[in-house]
Amino acid sequence: METILTLAGIFALTLVFVVGLRAAGWSDFAGPSTAPQQRPVLGGGDPQTHAWQRFHARYYTMTLLFVAFEMEMMFMYPWAVIYVAEGGKALAEMGMFLAILSVGILYGWREGIFKWE
Amino acid sequence: MTLLTVLGMLVFLCTSVWLAVALDTACRGWISGQGADRADGPLRTAALWLTQQRLTTEAPDRMNALLSIAGYMALALTGLALVPLGPDTALIALPTSVVLWGACEALVVVVVFLHGWSPNAPLAMIGAYRYVAIGLPIMLLSMFVLIAAALPAQSLDLRDIVTSQADVWNLIRQPLGLPLFLLLGLSLTLRGPFDYADSADLAGGTSVEASGPDRLGWQIARLAMLTEFSAMAATVFLGGYLGPVLPGPLWIALKTLLVMTLVIGLSHLAARMPVSRMMSLIWMILLPLSFADLIWAGLVAL
Repeated sequence: METILTLAGIFALTLVFVVGLRAAGWSDFAGPSTAPQQRPVLGGGDPQTHAWQRFHARYYTMTLLFVAFEMEMMFMYPWAVIYVAEGGKALAEMGMFLAILSVGILYGWREGIFKWE
Repeated sequence: MTLLTVLGMLVFLCTSVWLAVALDTACRGWISGQGADRADGPLRTAALWLTQQRLTTEAPDRMNALLSIAGYMALALTGLALVPLGPDTALIALPTSVVLWGACEALVVVVVFLHGWSPNAPLAMIGAYRYVAIGLPIMLLSMFVLIAAALPAQSLDLRDIVTSQADVWNLIRQPLGLPLFLLLGLSLTLRGPFDYADSADLAGGTSVEASGPDRLGWQIARLAMLTEFSAMAATVFLGGYLGPVLPGPLWIALKTLLVMTLVIGLSHLAARMPVSRMMSLIWMILLPLSFADLIWAGLVAL
């Protein structure tokens, strides 16, 4: 319960912060921004496309490898708590698990997924 | 008591944000040879941004622009509330506080992406996409070193992690931990070698279109995140509130400022690499190093 209240307090504080920024009124007396001011920064060039167009995320395959490792965290949280009690067995289990995932890194590296291409 | 703690932490947060700006300016002055800024420099810049005209692009995503600043700030504050100030004292006293912190850390990638998304401008968008490529894998390192720190404590509670360092700090017990964790700090706060979001090579990246109060809000949130990260690093690796003579909260404050100075120094002195090279470095060298840290910590804990 206390945790929920603290989190609610944090959100309230954040809200005050953002509303304060929004209401920081002096800046808006300067009037609305004009059309030339609204051009995106492009070193003087004009935008040819919408910025929210399809973007080639060149690290897409890397993110798949990332997901494999991130799932591992689900295993590691409980593992960390019982590690000392379980001893060498737990160490061997994690070692095997990491070894298998490392094969994934090697495979990804051979396939060139860490390159920006 | 709780109210006093909250007030104290807020005062500390404001002070450390100020100090961070001052240190940043001093570093910049020192490196560029232009000398130091005036002591009230940070306040003048803040006042300037508050009074500047708020410029937007033609069709920005206004809701997400505010949401990204609010989210970044909320994540920083949540992390700060998790920091133990004494054996039983923490604003958020969870038995699984490491898990909550991990979730906060992961969401930083989302808010930074939103910040680059919202102005509807090419350079900001590129900064956002590029940040994700580094922000994701660097998180893995940090989780491995955090789990390594949880092993001797046999708990996912940050308070237990501090208690487990009563004899020897994790900094000494797990020497690879703090250096790897600091890299995450650079990435979480968009700094120096890991600043792929807001860097000068994209004319400011996700912040390129931010002006006036919105710019001020984003920068304050970044520095709040720096404070929060430093407090967390001090808790996990430097024994948190533990220390002789002085009261606990003072120790954690001092250690936080120490880590913050280290991060700021690193962000000015280390160079940035091309994204793909950094990605290979993280996956091929730093991640195996964090495995080594985990195994090392495991062997020491047995």
